[in-house]
Amino acid sequence: MKQHALFIIKSFGISLFALCLSVQAKTVTQKIPPFNLTAEASYAQGESSKPAVLILHGFLATNQFFTVTSISNILQSEGFTTLAPTLTLNISQRRSLVKCTSLHTHTLQRDIIEISHWVDWLHAQGHAKIILIGHSSGSLELLEYASKANYPNISSIILTSLFYLNGSELGILPEEVTKAQTLLKSRINKPSHYQFLFCNNQYYATPESFLSYLKMDKPYTLSLLDSLSIPSYTIMGGADKRFHKVGRKWLDALKRTPTNLITIEGANHFFSREYEFDLQEKIIDILNQTPP
Amino acid sequence: MPLKSYFIQPVKVYFAFFLIAGVILLTLLVSNLYSQTQSVQTALQEKTLQQAQKEFEVVLDDAIINLTSNLLELADWDEIRQQIEDPSYYYFWHEDRLKGSGYFKNNYAQIELYDQNKWLLMPPMDEGNLNAPLPLQIQTKEEAKLIFISPTKAYLHMFEPIFARDSQTLLGYVGISIDLRPYLIEENELKYINPQSIKFTETQTASLSDLSSHIHFEPIENTVANELWTQIKRFIVDIIVLLSVFSLLIIIIFQRLFSRPMQILANYVQQLKESTNDENTQPNETFLIKEFEALKHSIHDYHRDLQTAQKELNTQYEKVWKQARQDALTEIFNRRAFDEMWSQLVDTYEYNPTDISFILFDCDFFKALNDTYGHEIGDDVIRTSAKTIQKNLPSQYDVFRIGGDEFVAIIQKQPLHEAFAIAKKCLKALKNHNFCGIGIKEKLSFSIGISHLAHQNSKNLRGDLLNLPRQADIAMYKAKQSHQHKIQCYESQLEIESLSLVSSQIISTIVEAIHTGKHIDMHLQGIHSVQENKLYYESLIRIKKDDLFIYPKDIFSVVERRRLEVEMDTQIIQQMLIAFQKGHIPSNTGVSINVSGKTLLKSNFVDLFEPFLPYLKDYKIVIEIIENTLIDHMEYAKTVLNTLRNQGFLIALDDFGSGYSSIRYLAHMPVDIIKFDMSMTLALDGDEKTRNIIRSTAKMVRDAGYDLVLEGVETEEMFEKSKQAGATHIQGYLLDKPTSILKIYGSK
Repeated sequence: MKQHALFIIKSFGISLFALCLSVQAKTVTQKIPPFNLTAEASYAQGESSKPAVLILHGFLATNQFFTVTSISNILQSEGFTTLAPTLTLNISQRRSLVKCTSLHTHTLQRDIIEISHWVDWLHAQGHAKIILIGHSSGSLELLEYASKANYPNISSIILTSLFYLNGSELGILPEEVTKAQTLLKSRINKPSHYQFLFCNNQYYATPESFLSYLKMDKPYTLSLLDSLSIPSYTIMGGADKRFHKVGRKWLDALKRTPTNLITIEGANHFFSREYEFDLQEKIIDILNQTPP
Repeated sequence: MPLKSYFIQPVKVYFAFFLIAGVILLTLLVSNLYSQTQSVQTALQEKTLQQAQKEFEVVLDDAIINLTSNLLELADWDEIRQQIEDPSYYYFWHEDRLKGSGYFKNNYAQIELYDQNKWLLMPPMDEGNLNAPLPLQIQTKEEAKLIFISPTKAYLHMFEPIFARDSQTLLGYVGISIDLRPYLIEENELKYINPQSIKFTETQTASLSDLSSHIHFEPIENTVANELWTQIKRFIVDIIVLLSVFSLLIIIIFQRLFSRPMQILANYVQQLKESTNDENTQPNETFLIKEFEALKHSIHDYHRDLQTAQKELNTQYEKVWKQARQDALTEIFNRRAFDEMWSQLVDTYEYNPTDISFILFDCDFFKALNDTYGHEIGDDVIRTSAKTIQKNLPSQYDVFRIGGDEFVAIIQKQPLHEAFAIAKKCLKALKNHNFCGIGIKEKLSFSIGISHLAHQNSKNLRGDLLNLPRQADIAMYKAKQSHQHKIQCYESQLEIESLSLVSSQIISTIVEAIHTGKHIDMHLQGIHSVQENKLYYESLIRIKKDDLFIYPKDIFSVVERRRLEVEMDTQIIQQMLIAFQKGHIPSNTGVSINVSGKTLLKSNFVDLFEPFLPYLKDYKIVIEIIENTLIDHMEYAKTVLNTLRNQGFLIALDDFGSGYSSIRYLAHMPVDIIKFDMSMTLALDGDEKTRNIIRSTAKMVRDAGYDLVLEGVETEEMFEKSKQAGATHIQGYLLDKPTSILKIYGSK
């Protein structure tokens, strides 16, 4: 307990220091060739002896999201190279959160392509060892990527607030899914409002976009964890409200996978307030355990 | 300082003046209030207009800044950039997303995107519903444009380029169309601008810089000022109405309370003043003001008391007037009444000429009768004669007692023969009256002289009228001389007859001298003191024209016949005054002046001697009155002579012992000196008995305290006898003869 308090103090001081250092982080712009989109990422180069860490934001967020910047800052202070891209969601150089009511044409596949592009870019920058850290749906997308990529430079993956995206318990309406599927089959890519995640029925998306993310249902997610070839760590907030919908059995399910499940009791979905430091402590602990 | 007559006006005029002045003053005040308020109203309007203009500038600037800011936000919005890069879902995004996003503000009519070439990215779906759709292509110089639809509808088109985030690469443009009027109204809380008054002027193009010139507005109405203005106008109207009502009430109240009572009281007083009717009733009206009511009663009571007092005064006046003009003995009018009547007649005669007869009655030998039977019988004769004459005169005529036994009646509007008939009737009655009843044994006779003035024949009405008394006197003198014709009418022939012994030259010289003073040569004869070496002079009139020396007897004859006694006395007094003024009278002496009875009875007798007052301190001035005059008018003479005595004059009784039995009056005579008649001086040469009487009389005079003058002393023997008889002063040829003043003055 005493050590935890010391870490909090240390983390707070480091956060302040990192905040100062963060101005040294630069924005990296990259064309995503297949889509003719320009994507941006925040890149801070750390010690070469330490792995580069790609940190991915949650659904519709940006790299400026609190949880992302918190992790980036602590890692940069620990000497890690960090890259926090903002998924374009089909918007070049997107700078702001995308509203539920905005037109969503982006797909999971496109997001994976962008992730792949950024991993390649890191590799191109000479980072032989890359660790992936995702938050929320960013964890899902990194999980999807890592399970498929089989990329040798990726040494481990840390998944925070990991949940799945499809399921009646999440409010997904089968009729909407059916309707979207019908439209997609009919090549009518007309956007509609759907019940999806926290957007309730305000999620305005094309059927392709909507259906692409429904792929990430509970069994598929668990299967991805099972199939990972690299170490995975899953950090969950004990007070995450998503549990109201998915139930705490999701933690049991996660425990049954190879992932190293860490639950920070009291923390919410975003690990805000004092749990920010718990999250940072856990991630640092994980990274420090990772062999070079 | 006396008030100008035009200040004296009826109370209504003053009331109207003050009422009008008050109304004018109040009108000026109200006008000033109206004017001042109007100025404040105008100033407030101007102030409000200035504030509105300032507000408009701020509102317009804020609107442009806000819209520009909104445009910039739009240009930076990720979704806009997304649509420019990939407009595949533009319509869905435009319809379902854009208008629901916070970027599509109220009163935005349209938001459209343009490509790098300024062409619309996609044609608008609802273009037909737009009043002023954004252009298909942005004109090069059109950064903003005001599209005029109507005075109350105009759209502002604004555009903003969109650049790539990491370079100046132009991606496209975003354009917005704003319904400007509701935008300006709803986006701002307008305090000074009337929102409904915002209007646009028709224009083809208007850039942001001249946008304000195409927008017009009016300031809001200042409700406080307007309400104040309304209240002021209402107040003014109220004041006017109130003033009118108040003025009307004041007029009514003033009329009822003051004007009408004062008018009634003024009329009442005027009625009392003009009315000769004693029966004056007070006004029936009852006044509301107690003081007026009291004044009404006071005027009535005062007038009633005044009438009572006036009646009493009239009674007293009549009584006094009657007493003053009634002869105490005969109860007919006296000399004063006659003089007043005669003076009035003379004054008015020329304006109202008529035939006038002057009838003069006189009892023959009355002095002798009086001496014989005594005064009581004499008084009875006078009383009876007066009553008889009055009784036989026509009732419209009065008889006046003007002397001891002289009566006058003035007959007007009658011819001479009528006057003569009246006189005849009176004379007959007097003759027939039985005077034996009062103890008169002899038959009394009366003489009547009549003078008449027929005004048609007169060329000098006043002069002829004034001659009537003298003419009647002449006629009566003629009657006295006749035994048969006791009524004589004056004719000029009578005057000639009476002066037959005197030449016409002498007469004319005398008359001229008496009237003009010419040819008079006043003489003085010394009256010497017996005990002291002092003297004073008796003034004696003498007339000398060239070589013609007129003797005293002729002078007195003419004066007596022509009744010029007063004129002569006046002339003598004047001549002596001149002598005093010229210093012709020797010092340490004095002068004695003779005055006739007629002059004594003149009302201005005392005034005749007033000029002598300064000489009294150096001179002895004696006024000589003949005994008969004094005794006949004792009471009147006492008053007049005592006045002169108090002033310093001495009074001498001349010719004492020549007529009346005057011993009984001796003690009460208003005189200082007794001059024995010359006959009494001569009597000292008579028998012993007579001398004793003279001496006894002289002793009585001396014992009574009077100085005694014996005149006519021509011998030394007479002088000694006179001294022995007790004379204090002696006058006579023995001592000196009458000598001209000039000679006396010259000898000095």
